[in-house]
Amino acid sequence: MTVAKTTSDSKVSRRQFIGYAWAVAVIALFAQAAGALYQFVQPIVQAGGFGGKVNAGNVNEFAVDTVSTVREMHGFVSRVEPQGALTMSWTCTHLGCTVPWVESEKQFHCPCHGSLYNTKGEVTGGPAPRPLDLYPSEVVGDELVVDTSQTIQRTKFDQSQITPFPKGA
Amino acid sequence: MESTFNRATNFVTRSRVWRSFFRHGMPDNEMDRSLVMTTNIFFHLHPVKVNRRSLRVTYSFGLGIISAILFLTLTVTGVLLMFYYVPATTLAYSTMKDLQTTIPLGQLARNMHRWSAHLMVLAVILHMVRVFYTGAYKPPREFNWLVGVVLLLLTLGASFTGYLLPWDQLSYWAITVGTNIASYAPVLGSTARSILLGGSEVGQNTLIRFYALHVIIIPLGLILLISLHLWRVRKDGGLAGQEIPEERLEIASLKE
Amino acid sequence: MAAEIKDQKTENIFPSAPTKTYQLMELVRGTSPMANKGPDNTVFSFPVVALIEVLLLLGTTLLVFVFSLLRNAPLEDIANPTVTTNPAKAPWYFVGLQELLEHMHPLVAGVLIPSVLVLFLVVIPYLDNDRTGAGRWFTSQRGRRITLLSAIYAVIVMPLLIVLDNTFNLREMLRGVAPELISQIILPGLIITLAAWLPMLILLRWKPTMREVILCLFTVMFVSAIVLTLSGFLFRGPGFKLYLPWAMPGGYNPLSGL
Repeated sequence: MTVAKTTSDSKVSRRQFIGYAWAVAVIALFAQAAGALYQFVQPIVQAGGFGGKVNAGNVNEFAVDTVSTVREMHGFVSRVEPQGALTMSWTCTHLGCTVPWVESEKQFHCPCHGSLYNTKGEVTGGPAPRPLDLYPSEVVGDELVVDTSQTIQRTKFDQSQITPFPKGA
Repeated sequence: MESTFNRATNFVTRSRVWRSFFRHGMPDNEMDRSLVMTTNIFFHLHPVKVNRRSLRVTYSFGLGIISAILFLTLTVTGVLLMFYYVPATTLAYSTMKDLQTTIPLGQLARNMHRWSAHLMVLAVILHMVRVFYTGAYKPPREFNWLVGVVLLLLTLGASFTGYLLPWDQLSYWAITVGTNIASYAPVLGSTARSILLGGSEVGQNTLIRFYALHVIIIPLGLILLISLHLWRVRKDGGLAGQEIPEERLEIASLKE
Repeated sequence: MAAEIKDQKTENIFPSAPTKTYQLMELVRGTSPMANKGPDNTVFSFPVVALIEVLLLLGTTLLVFVFSLLRNAPLEDIANPTVTTNPAKAPWYFVGLQELLEHMHPLVAGVLIPSVLVLFLVVIPYLDNDRTGAGRWFTSQRGRRITLLSAIYAVIVMPLLIVLDNTFNLREMLRGVAPELISQIILPGLIITLAAWLPMLILLRWKPTMREVILCLFTVMFVSAIVLTLSGFLFRGPGFKLYLPWAMPGGYNPLSGL
């Protein structure tokens, strides 16, 4: 009796096929491990405190043409006009230093690389690539509530960025 | 007296215990000097014989060995610091203060760790510059040059992650600025930064991540690659400085 | 003539016979039968190399130890995210990058330039794979001259560029005139590329080897890195402005941030 030979036109032999299957399985295993590692090292999102909604204070505390530093919101309330104010982050858009409001210079002056911003947060000098980031905010009753969970990046100042204050504030 | 001493040493060195430790005799003859190199793990990275030219101070300035020595110093002092240091934002700074004020020789251990770290970065850079200017990266040593470049980056990484650990103003802002640079890299930048920091700004997650990188991940990588680096030096024929015989050098300089 | 004498000598020791298929070719003075090697110039690693290593270990440790006794590692106030120190500097080995960041967009100074430099280091041995001169400082006298000239070039040009950009700041002059893409990315990128390749234009007329081209580029890179690091480390004071190191305002000591 003769053993029937399997004939096939396939260019890949059975041994090769199993070899390839092993290789693919090993690569898939490593890819999976890499994916798992990637997920593992993702930062944990924390709730509460800074990162949530912060009460910046009564709208009457922010006088016209002044800039107030509000520590709880990591930023400034800049009352650029009687009708409202800008709520801005204090993180420099260049390399993340904390930008202080310098009262004597009437501008924001970053100590790290000398970026300058005016009261509207627009860049007037230095290496910063864009104006100070904004926080979304609204007036609830007479309190200014700032949502610090996100920042809004902008390329220039425009009127719509101002949070309107109630009349008489 | 002399003979008593000799007898005592002979008794020790001929004992089965001693001979089970060392597979070579007193290295005062060529045979045993060879055996020291081939049978002892701490010496086996060396060849049995070296060329006199590769030993000249003005050729290598010993910079590679100095880098390795500083890595050793850093390991020892670093482990000592680990006895006291706590990588928590609430405690890190006060443990640094403890090291400086109350722990005996704590200040010295910290000083030695800090200055060795700076010196190691310097030594590694100078070592690379030396290897470049002497053309020691040329074939067959291309791969070892690559390993060296990775070692330089790892050294910088080790130093940079260690920089944050004291949790003082100097470290906080240096790391803030440093990691913000990374976020400008297209596509991967901000992801890499948030993974490195464990959040959007430098905080507790960052401290513990940098700690893990600093005390175990990067040092393990360094140990692995330093071993590879030294092994390749040996396999690629030792230092490149021995390769041109003296007389050819003279002819070459005459031609110019 | 000399050949004849030598032949005579070998003939005396080992007379050639027509029946033999082998003969003594030459007499060489030496201790081993190795052929095609220069005179043996080796020593046993033990104890010479071991001794050198022990000496280096003692010397290095002693240096670090004595320095640690003399000077304490800095420890400033506890980290405070609300107050940025002025100036805020990176560790010394990254201060060169920080200096570069002062002059152009972070994408160029912080990402593109470092990546290009690391890539350059990686490809060096694959660009220059000619083995001649391996193990010789600067390869040749010409290589030494090229290195020296490139170093002098970088020592003059880099501080000049820093001071020039500090006085006539490209970014501030073009603010509002040209978009940031031009004033902060394209123009500074072009200037720095040009500065790095300018010596090459002169070098190319000397018909350089690949090794000499790389010598020139590496030297310009290395010396520029030194200049930038020194400038950032010693000459930058509060607000990251340029001052003389001994005349810093507010009692700031540039060495305190080591």
